[in-house]
Amino acid sequence: MQQLEQLYTQAAFIRAFELAIGRAADAGHVPGLAHLCCGAELAEVAICAELCGSTDQVTGSHRSHGLALAMGADPIAVAAEIFGRSGGLSDGRGGTQHLIAPEVGFLTSNGIVGAQVPLAAGAALTAKTKDSGGVGVAFFGDGAANQGAVFETMNLAVALKLPMLFILENNGVGQTTASGYATGNTDLLARAAAFGLKTYKMDGYNGVNCINVASEAVAVARMGAAVFIEAVVPRLSGHYHGETGVSPSESERDPLQILAASLPSGVVEAFKKNADDGAETAIAAALAMPEARQ
Amino acid sequence: MKQDMTIREALNKAHHQVMAADNSVIVIGEDIVGGTGFAGEERGGVFGVTAGLATKFGTGRVIDTPISETAFVGMAVGAAMTGLKPIVEVMFCDFMGVCFDQLMNQAAKARFLSGDRVLMPLVIRTTMGAGDSSGAVHSQSLHAMLASIPGLTVVCPSTPADAAGLLKSALKHPDPVLMFEHKGLYDYTGDVADSLPAVPIGQGRLVLEGSDVTVVAVSAMLHRCETVALGLASKGISVELIDPRTIRPIDSKLILSSLSKTGRLVVIDEGPEFGGFADSVIALAASEGFAYLKAAPVKITPPQTPTPYGRALEKAWLPDENKIATTLTEMMTVA
Repeated sequence: MQQLEQLYTQAAFIRAFELAIGRAADAGHVPGLAHLCCGAELAEVAICAELCGSTDQVTGSHRSHGLALAMGADPIAVAAEIFGRSGGLSDGRGGTQHLIAPEVGFLTSNGIVGAQVPLAAGAALTAKTKDSGGVGVAFFGDGAANQGAVFETMNLAVALKLPMLFILENNGVGQTTASGYATGNTDLLARAAAFGLKTYKMDGYNGVNCINVASEAVAVARMGAAVFIEAVVPRLSGHYHGETGVSPSESERDPLQILAASLPSGVVEAFKKNADDGAETAIAAALAMPEARQ
Repeated sequence: MKQDMTIREALNKAHHQVMAADNSVIVIGEDIVGGTGFAGEERGGVFGVTAGLATKFGTGRVIDTPISETAFVGMAVGAAMTGLKPIVEVMFCDFMGVCFDQLMNQAAKARFLSGDRVLMPLVIRTTMGAGDSSGAVHSQSLHAMLASIPGLTVVCPSTPADAAGLLKSALKHPDPVLMFEHKGLYDYTGDVADSLPAVPIGQGRLVLEGSDVTVVAVSAMLHRCETVALGLASKGISVELIDPRTIRPIDSKLILSSLSKTGRLVVIDEGPEFGGFADSVIALAASEGFAYLKAAPVKITPPQTPTPYGRALEKAWLPDENKIATTLTEMMTVA
């Protein structure tokens, strides 16, 4: 129960943070497009909870606010970067698609779909070469699953025996194109298995399953194997905030609410209030920072 | 102590030195060990530059890869971001097309996007140049194309001392360095000090002093120009010959200073006629050395076509000594 409460606490903070970013975007504070991660929190938090910021490195896609936070990046610095402020992770040079916090194990996010995957192989190679016990972890979506860079890296990781995790977050849609249309054989676990990876399916709606799969898969990767997880998650917030192309159906379930329903209600309310207050405070602090000018 | 060695030998020796000095230096590429997965000893790489490294330092630090440039160049970028110093061999620069995203969007931008928190001690060695009938996709000279990308540093050594010395500097450079080695120069021999001293990035070399015309020539073309320049001296034409060594950042001070003396500029490069290195140097002269110019600057490059295969076709495509001598002589008839 303690692990589930911890999962909920972090996931609720990320959700509150993303919703606050959305409101800030509506108010004109986000220079570019904000790709929010609402719906993927449980899977992401559960996996990052198994990682260590000093030995492991995570790379993510354009939708990586939550991953940076889950690895422990300072929320004020993350928000300030999204706002293009001095005091952001990179003093506003990178922005929402280029969050970089290797000091806590979040190596980089990426604006090129799938390009973050070879970079995580590099982190895995460093861990292997230095015998640090660390792993490289690449998060990517079902859109990126069809990129050559991902195929090549799956083969390379197996051939070179890299301690690496490939985390496919399957939300069923790449921008506005259904993955069922774009993917020849939609059995992506079979695809990964064919490359020789050890494969796991993760139910991103089920907190207990997320925790269990994450724990086993990360341990296997740490032993020096290339591991693949397909995490089934919803995309609750559109391709980017404000996008109206493809919205989740009204019947789409919210993993956070499902987890909340399994926890004592008094506890949940307190956690949620903490998360909302914490996110508001971080966003306000970031908005108080000056616009980056050099 | 100095000794004669080839560019291949100098690079090999430099690899041995930097790997022995620093455990974080690793070498990655296709067939650089050679024979991996087969019985027997390492075969030493396609060009022989990496020979003996795996035997000496082990296959944990000298890594043969699948034919997957995107994955292994990207892996090297990630490794450089996390504490290793990878030297990657991309067998031919023509293969840059296969891994271009990892170069253009990942390697080139990581330091900038991190606010200088992530440095990139990454060296990508590759080959360039025509002249051996390797055909259109194993003969290109793409140094200027890579140099046009902000965040990338590009060098083109033409001598053994510069090849070894630039490799050493490249490993200490905060940005990724692409080193273009001419396929036709691996057996080119020159004097090298035993210690293989580092050669600063961004510093050209004055090869010949002269007073009539400044010639800037890259890689194999440099040696072609040197022969021509020595011949023209007897005809009363005094050529100042510059080897830029680094393509980006270009040593503009050396070139402009020479131009202020000669007033004439010829740039000779195997890269493209349009938008290439020659155009960049001429743009430099036009914008920052206009007052020195006595004649319009001239470029000598191959025509803007892919490299042809047949021996006679390829010979006609490449700038040769006659073309260079004629151009320089004609230039002296102007003003």
